[in-house]
Amino acid sequence: MDQQALVSLTLIILTFALYIGISIYHRAKATSDFYVASRGVPAFWNGMAIGGDWMSAASFIGMAGTVMLLGYDGLAYIMGWTGGYLLLTFLLAPQLRKYGRFTVPEFIGDRFDSNFARLIGAIATIIISFTYLIGQLSGSGVVIGRLLSIPSWVGVLIGVAIIAVYATLGGMKGVTWTQVAQYLILITAYVIPIVFMSLQITGNPLPWLTYGNVVEELGAIDRELGLSEYFAPFDEGSRAQFLALLFTLMIGTAALPHVIVRFYTVATMKAARWSGAWALFFIGILYLSAPVYAAFSRFVIMNDVVGQPLDDLPAWTEPWLNTGLLEVTASGEQGVLMWEDLIIHADIVVMATPEIANLGTFVIGMIAAGAMAAALSTAGGLLITVSSSFAHDIYYRLVNPNATDSTRLRAGRIAIFAATIVAGLLALDPPGVITQIVAWAFAIAGGTFFPVLFLGVWWTRINAKGAIAGMLGGLTTTLTYIFLAMNGFILFGIGDTGAGVFGVTVNFILVIVVSLMTEQPSQRLKDEAINLRYPEQMSYEEGQVWLDDTSGK
Amino acid sequence: MKKVKKEVADKYFKTRVTMIAIFLFIGFLVSFGVVFFAEQINESGVYIMGMPAHYYMGAQGAVVTFIVLLFLNAVINDRVDKKFGIDESRNEQISKTGTDH
Repeated sequence: MDQQALVSLTLIILTFALYIGISIYHRAKATSDFYVASRGVPAFWNGMAIGGDWMSAASFIGMAGTVMLLGYDGLAYIMGWTGGYLLLTFLLAPQLRKYGRFTVPEFIGDRFDSNFARLIGAIATIIISFTYLIGQLSGSGVVIGRLLSIPSWVGVLIGVAIIAVYATLGGMKGVTWTQVAQYLILITAYVIPIVFMSLQITGNPLPWLTYGNVVEELGAIDRELGLSEYFAPFDEGSRAQFLALLFTLMIGTAALPHVIVRFYTVATMKAARWSGAWALFFIGILYLSAPVYAAFSRFVIMNDVVGQPLDDLPAWTEPWLNTGLLEVTASGEQGVLMWEDLIIHADIVVMATPEIANLGTFVIGMIAAGAMAAALSTAGGLLITVSSSFAHDIYYRLVNPNATDSTRLRAGRIAIFAATIVAGLLALDPPGVITQIVAWAFAIAGGTFFPVLFLGVWWTRINAKGAIAGMLGGLTTTLTYIFLAMNGFILFGIGDTGAGVFGVTVNFILVIVVSLMTEQPSQRLKDEAINLRYPEQMSYEEGQVWLDDTSGK
Repeated sequence: MKKVKKEVADKYFKTRVTMIAIFLFIGFLVSFGVVFFAEQINESGVYIMGMPAHYYMGAQGAVVTFIVLLFLNAVINDRVDKKFGIDESRNEQISKTGTDH
């Protein structure tokens, strides 16, 4: 093992020890600890935990590269994955928090007073979260594998073992505080390399303020080489596809069960609003940095690699050429390398930056620990969500409503442990389409859940039949369109990743039409919806709003 | 428990809905709106912070606007709550004793 692998390994082991220590300290003792961290997480820390929960291995490793390769068109991911928090915080989170349940399927089941709707919600939650989870685990295996030069299946097993220990032990309470630690680790690892690169390229330590000139220069270089400019809009697709993808990502972000459930862990609607604001602040630091990575690394490649004689490429390119993440396809005209001859894998950008900037083994090790933190924090949140759907929504609410608190806690632990093992085994040999399914998870989540949650919160007339029709119709439409688009049937120039547009539209129409055509919901359910308009202290009962004016002290 | 007049309760709800509508509209303009006219903005040669304006909005402007909107929402909503006599510590108590399945 060389020095680099040793440093990376030491850092990763240290962070693992930290995570396990945190979850032992914050052991779950009751069901409410296990699913919603006793609803006592302060908004600021919950915002940070949402940041860790949200930013996956794909965000950490892949997003900057995607922006670099796609130019302007890659920015749909930046805006979509942040804009979703507007919809979530304005339209759903505080109200869902006031409704006061443990899970998203539980809201759906209780709000529409229908166990069938609950079951659909639980199954959809499991499908969405499980595919996402397999992506995280195989992603973390690849990271460990590449950075430590071991087979990636060993990496998967290490990741699975760690998560199984701390999620089973700590439940949501443990996961919350490990996610906070993981956020801090991943954001430090992400920002340090570009600060140094910014010093080297622009002489200013704040890359966010100065990389504009680099973007402009990239455009000039592209013009000179006869390529379309880096910032030219819709170079890789159409405007319709960009807008559809943006819409799908935003709506999907607002409807992902493992994100929504984090808003259940705070005390009040006010805390939910502040959580959303802090969450996007912490997430924004990474999302504002990704285009910086993209611009700097493209700048370096354009200046130091493109146009060089093939036998005189910079030293940092060699290991990446060996692993196949960087490929040179042609012999090069006139003996120098052309941009068109390069095939660059999106994952290279973040991982190669410390080497490009000559930052040494410690920073490279930090990137490894940061990527692991990103994968583990998301996986932890997903595991809680999957296990709560099994143990809470299906086992407790549908199969055995008389279970005692300790039985439910044990059921939750068994479910989380089993889910980790199954996901780990699947991630050892991931089905070929898994990365694509993870991308589709947004379309599926948005198409299945968003309209039903939105109208469930804001519209009193919605009933169980409408909600069931909407969820099933939205899910079917999304899956059908993805399938058709993959086989070449394209409507309005929108590809498979923009399928959410159709799923969400059909879902909305079905909920509204079917609800209006069938009987009114009971007065109790309507009252429950009106009650969500006001803060906790105000309640709606018997056609009248009441203010609980007992002193708060 | 005391009754809240219907007008007061409706006013609270209306204030909230108006705020949300305005914030979402701004959020929509800086993301979807800018993307819709990206080609025209690119040709117009407008620059922000050294890069073409449409690229700036996608890479930085929209995200920063979203963050500002979320904090504005949190701050203004706290003021509205205060104006309507809502006491957050009482909210916390009610929420704790509420139904937990």
